[in-house]
Amino acid sequence: MGPDPQTGAPPLPVLIVGGGPVGLTLGALLARHGIASHIIEADEAYCQGSRAICISRRSQEVLAWVGADRPLNAKGLPWTGGRSYFRNQEVLHFRMPTEPTERFAPMVNIQQYFVEEYAHQAQDRFPGKCSVSWSTRAVATRPTADGVEVDVEAAGGHRETLRAQWVVACDGARSAVRDHLGLSLEGTQYEGRYVIVDIEQESSRAVERLAWFDPPSNPGSTVLMHRQPDNVWRVDYQIRDGEDPAEAVRPELVLPRVQSHLDMIGETAPWKPLWISAYGAKCLSLRSYRHGRVLFAGDAAHLVPIFGVRGLNSGLDDVGNLAWKLALVIGGASRDDLLDTYSTERLYATEENIAYAAKSTEFMAPPNFAFELMRQATLRLASVDPRVRSLINPRQSSQCSYPAAMLGAGLPGGDRSASPRPGDPAPEARVRTTDERTHLTQYFGGGFIALYFTDDRPVPDSIALRASASTQDVATMTVVRIARKGIPDATTVVDFIGEAWQRYGAHEGTLCLIRPDGYVLACWDQPDWQALSSVLRRILTGQALPQPRLLVGGDA
Amino acid sequence: MKEQDLDHCYTVLSDALAAVGGEKASLLLATLSLSLIVRETDAKIVLDLIAQAGELART
Ligand SMILES: Cc1cc2nc3c(=O)[nH]c(=O)nc-3n(C[C@H](O)[C@H](O)[C@H](O)COP(=O)(O)OP(=O)(O)OC[C@H]3O[C@@H](n4cnc5c(N)ncnc54)[C@H](O)[C@@H]3O)c2cc1C
Repeated sequence: MGPDPQTGAPPLPVLIVGGGPVGLTLGALLARHGIASHIIEADEAYCQGSRAICISRRSQEVLAWVGADRPLNAKGLPWTGGRSYFRNQEVLHFRMPTEPTERFAPMVNIQQYFVEEYAHQAQDRFPGKCSVSWSTRAVATRPTADGVEVDVEAAGGHRETLRAQWVVACDGARSAVRDHLGLSLEGTQYEGRYVIVDIEQESSRAVERLAWFDPPSNPGSTVLMHRQPDNVWRVDYQIRDGEDPAEAVRPELVLPRVQSHLDMIGETAPWKPLWISAYGAKCLSLRSYRHGRVLFAGDAAHLVPIFGVRGLNSGLDDVGNLAWKLALVIGGASRDDLLDTYSTERLYATEENIAYAAKSTEFMAPPNFAFELMRQATLRLASVDPRVRSLINPRQSSQCSYPAAMLGAGLPGGDRSASPRPGDPAPEARVRTTDERTHLTQYFGGGFIALYFTDDRPVPDSIALRASASTQDVATMTVVRIARKGIPDATTVVDFIGEAWQRYGAHEGTLCLIRPDGYVLACWDQPDWQALSSVLRRILTGQALPQPRLLVGGDA
Repeated sequence: MKEQDLDHCYTVLSDALAAVGGEKASLLLATLSLSLIVRETDAKIVLDLIAQAGELART
């Protein structure tokens, strides 16, 4: 797309429609890769009211690529498990995988508007790369031969046309861009409804996911509670069959139910409601997340039920997958068909998310008498037979593995039997380095990383090409040697408790190539640098960088 | 039985109950119980489970 024929202005590299958590994070991630973007957001500020609160470990990793993990973890409340009760009796106590050496808790509770604020602030770390126009909405989207034109309308009614090489629609569940392109979501809508109430009340209770089925406080209902920062409780409860959702959110109906439950669990401090809304579960998705030069991410692309907290978390995973690919394509290092893998990989993740979330929904909001009957049986039996308790588990969001074939990298010799396998998330490990980094995942989020497991072999000279500064970090590869002993240096981290070697199933000489988004591309039991280069060249095929720049150590 | 298999059976059974409808649901469950009972060689186990289910159903 050439300059604007009237003004001579060049097109924007990326226009992001929607400055919710997903759009704001995408802007920051692209900025980190040196790609300029502009965000238009219909609202005048961050979201209000009750939205996402549970931020997964994977989301914390994605936010960490732009430094937004620090304020998030300073403010948020980490947690690792939860309890479910049938009437007054505990029938499930679950814990998510957690280790004393971990970088992030499996889940952090925080109000969505803080996530938006931190993602937005993270953009300031990359000056001049990302800007936001608030109170500005997209009203028409027109793909052209080599770009996209978007008509936008600002608060005072002022209209203009923005021209961009790429548009990413992050404009949420009611995506306008989706409508403009004549696309629609497909899938299932569930009947069961929940009322969502945020209240302010001091509490010293542990941070856990709490669920009550048929509690004496609200017989026949299901009540969920989560603590949030600033003494806020999220209370969700299932409304009665036949109850009108519009009626059910009236304070005179809601407040007594909340009071009764607080009384039951012994939370006696004074409280006040902050926000009340109703929610219905949906499992919906577009068939493709790429439509030419328009890409879809977050709720604009897919909607999953809140049970299992996969909404915002999957949206952040979308942009973690998309940002580096878009940066490579715009930088000329990769062909644009790399973006097709964004769609196939994330559609696969949506399928998995929907399958899990649908299972959770069957239990949390039984869609018919049969699921209700089975739930009744499960809850009763759980009190005497622990083997059925897994049916009550909320199946919290976890990072998905992609089928190896989907990576489109070709895997010459990189298909070993030990895990991790191509397409798996690269495992975390506590390591010792020469700088402030303490974990292996802190090397991800920039360019490609080759993890070379060796106690004493040097990186071959042919690979240690040159430590020249690259114009685009995402098109580089950094070799990180992982030794089990010794002291760390510029090219070597020390796996002093052996977690890395163990979790990568490594032997002396194992080599793993990791994508910028922390997914394993290929692993070799013996270091086949030739094969590694050829895998990389399948991705970095463009004209701008005829061959990957290989760096050793240093900044990832 | 693995958790995943249990999960799957739960959904399939629920769907089967929904498919025959409320009136025939107890017939389906009784038939299924009998099929499972004849696969168990120890009558004591079955009798204990019947007693337990009876008690739980009263709660
Ligand atoms: C009650 C509730 C609880 C939830 N709990 C969780 C949870 O614990 N964990 C979790 O992961 N998810 C949760 N979710 C889901 C989560 O809130 C969403 O998945 C998340 O907000 C999606 O982010 P997004 O940026 O894609 O969309 P949104 O947050 O909807 O943002 C889209 C933005 O686009 C803007 N926009 C819309 N149209 C236009 C236009 N034409 N032009 C410009 N801008 C436009 C909107 O103003 C909005 O700011 C919950 C949702 C609800 C309702």
